[in-house]
Amino acid sequence: MKVSVAEQVPYRFLPDDFGEHNSSVVTAPYEVVDPGRMHESIFSAYAELMHAVRAGFDGIVVTEHSQSSYDISPNPTLLASAVACAARAEGLDPAIAILGRSLGKTREPLKIAEEYALLDCISGGRLIAGFPVGLSYDANLNASLPAIETRDRAREHRELILKAWTAPRPFPWNGRYEKYGQVNIWPRPIQQPHPPVWIPGTGSPGTLRDILSNDFAFVYLSWDGPKLVGRQVFDRYWDMAEEMGRDRNPYRLAFMQVVAVSETDERAEKEYARHLMALYHSGLGAIPGTAMAVPGYAEPAAIEAMLRGGGPDGMLARMRTATYQEIIDTQVAIVGSPATVADQIEAFVREFRIGNLLVMLQNGSMPRDLTEKNISLFAAEVLPRLRPIWDAEGWENRWWPAATVGVTAGAAGGAAAAAGTEAR
Amino acid sequence: MTTAEAAVRDETVEVWDGRLRLHVKVAGEGPPLLFFHPLSGLAWDPLLGQLAARHTVYAPEHPGTSPGDPHAISQVQTFWELLLGYEELVRELGLDRPAAVGQSFGGMVAADLAATFPRLFSRLVLLSPPGLWLDAAPIPLMQMVAGPPEDVPNYLFAHPESQAAQAAMALPADPGLIPKAIAQSAWNIGCTTKFAWPIADHGLGRRLYRVQAPTLIVWGRQDALIPVAYAEEFGSRIAGSQVEVIDDCGHVLQADQPERTLAAVSKFLAG
Repeated sequence: MKVSVAEQVPYRFLPDDFGEHNSSVVTAPYEVVDPGRMHESIFSAYAELMHAVRAGFDGIVVTEHSQSSYDISPNPTLLASAVACAARAEGLDPAIAILGRSLGKTREPLKIAEEYALLDCISGGRLIAGFPVGLSYDANLNASLPAIETRDRAREHRELILKAWTAPRPFPWNGRYEKYGQVNIWPRPIQQPHPPVWIPGTGSPGTLRDILSNDFAFVYLSWDGPKLVGRQVFDRYWDMAEEMGRDRNPYRLAFMQVVAVSETDERAEKEYARHLMALYHSGLGAIPGTAMAVPGYAEPAAIEAMLRGGGPDGMLARMRTATYQEIIDTQVAIVGSPATVADQIEAFVREFRIGNLLVMLQNGSMPRDLTEKNISLFAAEVLPRLRPIWDAEGWENRWWPAATVGVTAGAAGGAAAAAGTEAR
Repeated sequence: MTTAEAAVRDETVEVWDGRLRLHVKVAGEGPPLLFFHPLSGLAWDPLLGQLAARHTVYAPEHPGTSPGDPHAISQVQTFWELLLGYEELVRELGLDRPAAVGQSFGGMVAADLAATFPRLFSRLVLLSPPGLWLDAAPIPLMQMVAGPPEDVPNYLFAHPESQAAQAAMALPADPGLIPKAIAQSAWNIGCTTKFAWPIADHGLGRRLYRVQAPTLIVWGRQDALIPVAYAEEFGSRIAGSQVEVIDDCGHVLQADQPERTLAAVSKFLAG
């Protein structure tokens, strides 16, 4: 299987009681920020991703959120681009997954087509193109777009981007939301016909059907861990795949999991518990429920089903007050020695047929040295147990970038360009 | 009020080349009056019953807000299309220069109809509508719609604890019906905010000079959603209009001050 490191970019120095008094999104008060510590928070994310690339992870994963204290990543292609350039210069070729630029939020979908294409070119064809609709607070409050149009806007934007990548000639676009007289972007992706498409979502039937019918990969970005809602969402996905005549290739499915590993279980709790709880209490748990579903974002039938308890009963609504023990018991975070962590991950990966695992190794207030320890230990002692899980079944990972331009160790400038020429 | 409540019946009218079925509640007898409801959808409250005592009231439901027909909203892509649909509705109903009363969001609709089609209405009543914008008096629409539900009454009422305010916010007594009611209410707001988000300004201020119907503008002095400063803004842009500001009154006029609201509206409509 493929194992990548996912990072969000929290401000790591929030006061302990931040979540009791504040929202972590939209209205999060900037007065709490110290500029030097903001630099440290953001630069550490870059440094840790590079540490993960050097440690041998298969890829790096970043996400987009605006006006947020838990993920200061208004444009994740900026951070990803820095990693892609630096990795390339060191002769490394991690996959670069953007999960992604939000299609229901953007007012400039062609910028996404261009930026993704540029990243694919910079990285030598290593981009995974994530196409999320976007969270309600981001699309409807931060970008202030009408909630009821969010999904339709995302649908049109995805269609436009894919066409901008693949149409052989310039074309006009007369959409409902966007009008362009001539679309002819430079550059276009190296990967043909286009980079692999991953669709992040929370597993609604409509989203899953869309993913399977287009033969994209589903990324379950729930934060809820595998235990509470995994059964429901993954069973639905594989049942639907079977109904629609798709195979049970585990690489159709990616899953994100918070993990913290240390030498022993006791030591892991001691080192990580406090920092992890900052994520739940002041980050995710401090997103108001109303900001996740501005009226019009969700269909009336979906809201009614949720209120009747028909939806996944996850942890998000309870995170602000959750205890460390609840977080561990529910596997919202998996924390412990390498053996503990590997056992738990291997079990749910096999059970739910997950081919692409995205591990969140920096969370909440974790400082850089501790994060890098987490990354190193995971790479050395957990990763080797996970890699071969699906080897025996012999599936092809068609949702993973195929490097079409070779990496030249230590290459830069002219040497890299020459390598590119050869590969073409 | 002593008048017996008029029976309310449902009519549906096809407009927009047959693609949109508008659901209209109709009640009463007398000269025609169109009522355009606020953001949250059509609620047949006592004010409508009172208007139906002297008028035939036609109250269209905003596309998508009629139970069982949520996707009608997708047929109306822009605010301009909404106005065209309502102008067509007036013709399809065979109404000859009806009076129009618009409340809040519905007031913006009625005002723009009157500006766009100056001969459509005989009289125009605007109950604290959005549609204009003053930097000095921001309208916290987004804050209300996306904020904590428990704060909503403070935006809408000067007296949130009053019986009328409580009735306006009430959920069904049967707990089994509450999820459907909440889902419907959220969707209604989704359908109306499509044309009012994040700021309800479609350039109405530049068109209001075109309004020819005699116009009454009614506002609550303590309106916490659309500040009373907008009463004068509307008044100054519509030639010959009357402005009535009601004291001790919030955004939902007929909840905070039912008698004074009805008196102002009735007197104007009778004149």
